[in-house]
Amino acid sequence: MSAAARFVRYNAGLILAIALFAVIYGTYAVLHPNWGLNVVLQNANESLALIFVGMAQTMAVLVGGLDLSVGPLMTLTNCFGSIVMAGSGGSVLAGVVGALALGAAAGFMNGCVIVYGRIQPIIATLATGAIYLGCALILRPTPGGAVNGDIAWAFTNDLNELGLTFGWWEDLGPIGLLPMQALFLAAVIGLVWFPFRATVLGRGCYAVGSNEQAAYMSGLNVNRSKIAAFTLGGFFAGCAGVYLTLQMGSGNADAPQAAEYTLRSIAAVVIGGTSLFGGTGGVVGTIFGALVLRSITFIFRVIPAGAALSFVADPLLQPLFEGLILLLAVSLGAARVLRVKNRLSLFT
Amino acid sequence: MAFKTLTACATMASALILAAAAAQAAPKTVDGPGYMPECFAAWDDDTAHFQWAAKDGPYKVAVVNGFVGNIWRIQMIKTAKAFVEQEEIAPLVEELKVVSVGTDAAAQMGAIEDFINQGYDAIITIANSPTGFERVIRLANRNDVVLVPFDGLLDSKDVMQVNEDQYAMGVMSANWLIEHVGNSGKILEVRGVPGNTVDRDRHEGFRSVMEADGNDFEIVEVVGNWAPGDSQRVTADAIAVHGQFDGVFSQGGTNGTVQAMMAAGHPFVPIAGEAENGFRKQIAEHADEGLKGLSYGQSPGLVAISIKAALEALQGNVMPQLISVPIPAVDFETVKDGENFWSNLPDDFFTPNEFPPCNVNITAPEIMAESEADTQ
Repeated sequence: MSAAARFVRYNAGLILAIALFAVIYGTYAVLHPNWGLNVVLQNANESLALIFVGMAQTMAVLVGGLDLSVGPLMTLTNCFGSIVMAGSGGSVLAGVVGALALGAAAGFMNGCVIVYGRIQPIIATLATGAIYLGCALILRPTPGGAVNGDIAWAFTNDLNELGLTFGWWEDLGPIGLLPMQALFLAAVIGLVWFPFRATVLGRGCYAVGSNEQAAYMSGLNVNRSKIAAFTLGGFFAGCAGVYLTLQMGSGNADAPQAAEYTLRSIAAVVIGGTSLFGGTGGVVGTIFGALVLRSITFIFRVIPAGAALSFVADPLLQPLFEGLILLLAVSLGAARVLRVKNRLSLFT
Repeated sequence: MAFKTLTACATMASALILAAAAAQAAPKTVDGPGYMPECFAAWDDDTAHFQWAAKDGPYKVAVVNGFVGNIWRIQMIKTAKAFVEQEEIAPLVEELKVVSVGTDAAAQMGAIEDFINQGYDAIITIANSPTGFERVIRLANRNDVVLVPFDGLLDSKDVMQVNEDQYAMGVMSANWLIEHVGNSGKILEVRGVPGNTVDRDRHEGFRSVMEADGNDFEIVEVVGNWAPGDSQRVTADAIAVHGQFDGVFSQGGTNGTVQAMMAAGHPFVPIAGEAENGFRKQIAEHADEGLKGLSYGQSPGLVAISIKAALEALQGNVMPQLISVPIPAVDFETVKDGENFWSNLPDDFFTPNEFPPCNVNITAPEIMAESEADTQ
């Protein structure tokens, strides 16, 4: 098998997600009357928190579980961040580091409850999720908090705007047009995910997800891998919370929103080509899964009123069509898994 | 090469946009009073007035709804569609786009920003969260887009907003009850969704009058979540525990409250409540048996006022930053079938949709004629 063919075979889910995203987002871009860099920036702004939450969910799914606490954990770190980050530069940094640490710690707790409490991940995280949402409500009984407007603005725009706002640099040319969201994402992927995946612990997560008994018999530390996966998931949820804090400039212990993010994260994982059975896939696919999800909602804004398909954009029918498109996307992502006779052939 | 050129063009274009944006600081803060003050009343004496540079119509208007799933929101969307089809409004509106984004505040901000980028002139929204919209407010003001949150307001003084005064609704209900019950007695207060500012304001307005000097009321407080089912259940419980009441204030789901009283054989007493069609049907049917009722309404028709406010602002008229819409209310003496309630429409239809001072007169049949399949 040639290297290219092998790459396609191993990354079919990812490639499918990218193709879906290209089609759906391409449609949006073509239909948008003023599509340009500022629209890309706006789309990135809207998507990044969901991407991070999807990445958090991916970690749980990789080891064969589901994490219902990712949305609440994002909400908790958002509320925490909105309290600590409201202030001068020093406390913003402290808030970011603190919120990420809080996320990781909560993820670690999830892992411990699951491993040492021997409780199914979906049930354990249902409980811990309620705890995190409760803590968020204690921190922020009513929405509020004011992160420095300039900081919030600069870190959710492009590089040029960052330099302009603080007077660090004037114009970096084409590089300056890079959205901050892409940089954040690249940093997390490059500095956290890829190194983690290369470790024994990281590879162990895949092994545990595909066959826990086999992993144990092979001498892998199953418990440690599971805890590591949930801890990293917590860290990703913390990233989502931090970004949401920057984006909103405030914190809000919003229960419906937390639930929506949790559910959408699962959809993002599936579209991204990670098998719900565990052991195959990865967070890079989820990024595109989340982008597909978001792009579906983008489309409703640009369908012209007179077009043949305009009935799709009827406000009362939008949830219906969003669901149908989602079902189609998820089916495409899962079709590969359904087609195989033996799950082992997914790994060959 | 082509890509480089494209990037260069885009850079220049965004630089131009930024430069242009920096030069504009819309809207201007001016002295009141505003345009049509009988309709667009300033919230209080401290309310600032805004003026945008006049633009030529017709305008593109977007409604960015949050979640869609209760009758109020559905009726709101239908009202928006019906309003822009009215004779005086239709020539002003080139396009009306309605999207429902769910409960996600980030998605709502994204949708608003998208419509700003698409070149819409006015964006009407029910904010999912009272905070966090600084970015879109900044962008809307930079791009001379009139952003109008209503019903769910933002904690901001930089954006024009439309609502009814919830505190005044509580005060109105209390004054009306005192008029019909007297200055003492046992009162049942059925509250709304806990933690919500609307619930808090109506409650505080109500208590400010009831607990004033000279009044001697025993008030029993229960939580009915503004839902007929919940309000029926808690009212039944309250009657079982506390016996008879002399008057009732039921913030919402009021038809459920009345239902519970009838089921428990509780005599009809004066009751102040929301504007569900069902409640007004009950008032009309049982008024002569003692069911004196006051029915005020947080109307889904606020969307029409908000659209109208945005259209006036786009034409350069001076508008208050926070607009207080008159509270539509009827009582057992003024309730009339086919006029302010409809015996042939469902109980959960929200009756008040006409605001004569604003020249906004959409009738119930017009709203109900907007089918879900209709698009525009």
